Amino acid sequence: MTLLDGLWLVSALTALGAGLFGRSPATGPWLTVLYGVQFLLVALMGSLAYGAAPVPASVTFDILGQALSWRFTSLSWFFALITAGASLTAAWFMGGAWARAYEQRGGDLRLLQLALALNPVTMYVLLASGDFLSLFVGWELVSWASFLLMLSAGGVGVRWAMRYLVYAIGGAMAVMGAMVQAYAVTGSFAFGALAAAAPNLSAGALWSLVILLAGGFGVKMGLLPFHLWQAGAYAETPGPGSAFLGAISSRMGLFAMLLTLWGVLGFAVLQGLHVPWTPLEANELLAWVAAFTLVFPTFTALRQNDARWLLAWHGIGQGGYMLMGVAMGDALASAGGLMHVFNHATYQAALFMAVTAVVYRTGTADLNKLGGLVTRMPLSFLVLLVGIIGLAGLPPMNGFVSKWLIYRALIDEGQPLLFVAAVVGTLGTIVSVYKLLHNIFLGQLRVEHETVREVPWSMLSPMLVLSVVVFVTGLAPGLVLDWVASAQRELGLPVLVPTLGGVARPDGGLDMLWVVGLLFAGFGVGALIFLAGGRARTVHQLDNYAGGHFLSADVRYHYSDNFYAGLMHKIGTWYRGSFRWLQDAVVAATDFLAQGAVGIYRSIQPTAWLLGVAVLALWWVTA
Amino acid sequence: MMESILELILMPAVAFVVGLVMLLMMRKIAAKIQRRVGPPFFQPLYDVMKLFGKQTQISHGLIHDVGIIVAVGGYIAAETLIPVPGMNGIAERADVIALIYFLMVPSLGMALSAGQCANPNASIGISRALTAMLAYDIPFVIVIFGMAWVYGTTNLVEMVAYQQAHGWGLTEAPLLALAGLFALQGMLGKQPFEIYVAPAEIATGPMVEMSGKYLGSLIVMQCFSLYTAGILYTTLFLGGGVTWIDFLLKAFAVVAIPMTIAFQFPRYRAEQMLASLWKWPVLAGLLGLAVVMLT
Repeated sequence: MTLLDGLWLVSALTALGAGLFGRSPATGPWLTVLYGVQFLLVALMGSLAYGAAPVPASVTFDILGQALSWRFTSLSWFFALITAGASLTAAWFMGGAWARAYEQRGGDLRLLQLALALNPVTMYVLLASGDFLSLFVGWELVSWASFLLMLSAGGVGVRWAMRYLVYAIGGAMAVMGAMVQAYAVTGSFAFGALAAAAPNLSAGALWSLVILLAGGFGVKMGLLPFHLWQAGAYAETPGPGSAFLGAISSRMGLFAMLLTLWGVLGFAVLQGLHVPWTPLEANELLAWVAAFTLVFPTFTALRQNDARWLLAWHGIGQGGYMLMGVAMGDALASAGGLMHVFNHATYQAALFMAVTAVVYRTGTADLNKLGGLVTRMPLSFLVLLVGIIGLAGLPPMNGFVSKWLIYRALIDEGQPLLFVAAVVGTLGTIVSVYKLLHNIFLGQLRVEHETVREVPWSMLSPMLVLSVVVFVTGLAPGLVLDWVASAQRELGLPVLVPTLGGVARPDGGLDMLWVVGLLFAGFGVGALIFLAGGRARTVHQLDNYAGGHFLSADVRYHYSDNFYAGLMHKIGTWYRGSFRWLQDAVVAATDFLAQGAVGIYRSIQPTAWLLGVAVLALWWVTA
Repeated sequence: MMESILELILMPAVAFVVGLVMLLMMRKIAAKIQRRVGPPFFQPLYDVMKLFGKQTQISHGLIHDVGIIVAVGGYIAAETLIPVPGMNGIAERADVIALIYFLMVPSLGMALSAGQCANPNASIGISRALTAMLAYDIPFVIVIFGMAWVYGTTNLVEMVAYQQAHGWGLTEAPLLALAGLFALQGMLGKQPFEIYVAPAEIATGPMVEMSGKYLGSLIVMQCFSLYTAGILYTTLFLGGGVTWIDFLLKAFAVVAIPMTIAFQFPRYRAEQMLASLWKWPVLAGLLGLAVVMLT
């Protein structure tokens, strides 16, 4: 039995345990231990991250003469580590107080535990895919598992889960189309067969493969214009589920895209594929799709008034950075894109958990109904602060490093417009996440929240662990960049040679050890200067300058609604809802065609059918 | 080792002293334009000392204090990323892109601090400050991209070396220099882009709850920001400095331009600021970028 078999077995046992005993909140800690074992098993395969040979699964199948096989490679391991970490922290967060409260509110805990446990199992199957058939099997399993998790919320969540299902089926059809095409060309579902045939394929055939695979897997990633399902589906899932989905679920799309387009077809093929009537190649086209994906959803996030929705929209936008990085394909950019998968998972899980903690204590994620909670939930504030600095990509957190790598590469590659798009996305994120932090934790504390306490340690500890990871991998990005380098090597991309602190190069490198050290030294000096002043007296929040008015607790003066009034005055009219319009138009057109088909079926006389069939049959026989 | 530690201490210290003089210059320029005498030489220093020495210091909670420390500390650290004559600090280990993002840390600190005050006027001020950042940083990053392209590096030390060998960036990319100057006006929060600071009526800006050492720290932060803007522009476009004399002359000249322009203008509203900063400097920047990349 290989380690991969062991991982499958333990994760399946976790799901079984969740299904059998998940109803009782008391199983939470035990399940968390099982997730911990999964994490350990993935960690034991760590040599994969340093270039070891793939770990195969003992299970293989033969269906209709086609062999299905599974194995873990460096790339699989990188994504599996994130999956294991995300599921472990989500289950840990859920396992104690949160589960009890969820059950008391009437939530179906068994369904939630089962759905959460099924996600990592199916992802480990997908990540181990060794050919197109096993990839498709894994892909479908992952889709259904995440659908189940979205469904577990009930209520509004069901509507969003159904919308996801429609998109996911569409995506799977596209993937299947690509598989059929690959089979038609090579007569096999093996990756190697298509890889060997790819250089000889015509541009049309290659384009068809690229569009079907990128589009099909892009649905899961929430690439424009297939992104409309994601924010609602992730945001409306119960808290720990959102944290897991937001951290890693949609990245499975990126994994599959990397595996097929980069790994099988090869990056050189993408680079050689010219987009007609433009100066772009296929990889640059993907980078542009990524640019739009990172700008538009980010600015949609800016307009959200629900903390969970805001984060979910940012999750879509951040996927754009990952794709942009790998689509540029040089050593720095692809390392940045891949590292961003890891970084995003760490801070996004922490952010969703912090927001869930707030919901746990206050009962709402509405950004207009909170405020001032920093004095009541200081550690949750700290987690959210670390998380938003990571999400916004500011030093000293890990999100900065991955984005820096991408910016630096875009300068190397001479891509000014993509560079500006990437920076605009970052600026939009900074603006948006400050609103998130301000409206929840800063400003006026409401009367009804004066008795709120910090969440229990069962919820705090995974959040704090994730925050430490966000900080440490920002301080020493070389830890993650080593793993990324192995994945780059596997994908045939140029390999980045990192240092512990980042990248050393004479024409502009980055050493986070120095940067972070100096930043904290600066804070130290700043603190000394600040403390040199007289001793300050802390006053009550109502002891404020209010232009001659007296403030009292019953007056709500927290500035939260339409937070960026000036900005919206300028860009508010730019929000046209074009993608929603497009989606509605497609739905309407499908509806119209379906109605037409029903009408034909219902109204035409049987004699006319008979005549039609007879004419067709005659034509077929004589032709 | 000792030398580099000395550098890391000296660079922020020099920045503070020069920044104080720049602050004085700003007030003197305003006074000249408004036909006043203006403050005496040591007035900025007196102001800081007075504010730090006040007996009544009002805090609105821990984050109010921490935010101020982050704002000042972020700038202190940022000063070590920009090379000055004789001292490179850690400019070799963190390039100009890192610097741009470093410079957002103080803004975040100030935003945290003002947000914790629980005064809606402070929050409105911060919402405008972040809007302003979105406004001026877009043309600014176009300029950074252009200059990195011209010099073939993002390392500020190499940028200076290139210019001292081949001539100033100003002559190679005049349009980008112009766009950079325009963005500088927004970055310094000078009229017409001063709505977020709103210094003339403190009660409607982020500073409404800042008094004593809080306001004093913000003055210190302003000194750093003036100095940083001056030397960064000098490093990008004016060849850096061979000696401290020519370096500081250039930096003071750079900072004097936005100051002189500022006092001719009224204040723009937030959306007018966006319209103006997203139009002219972005156009000039993109045009300049096209020129340097296509020729």
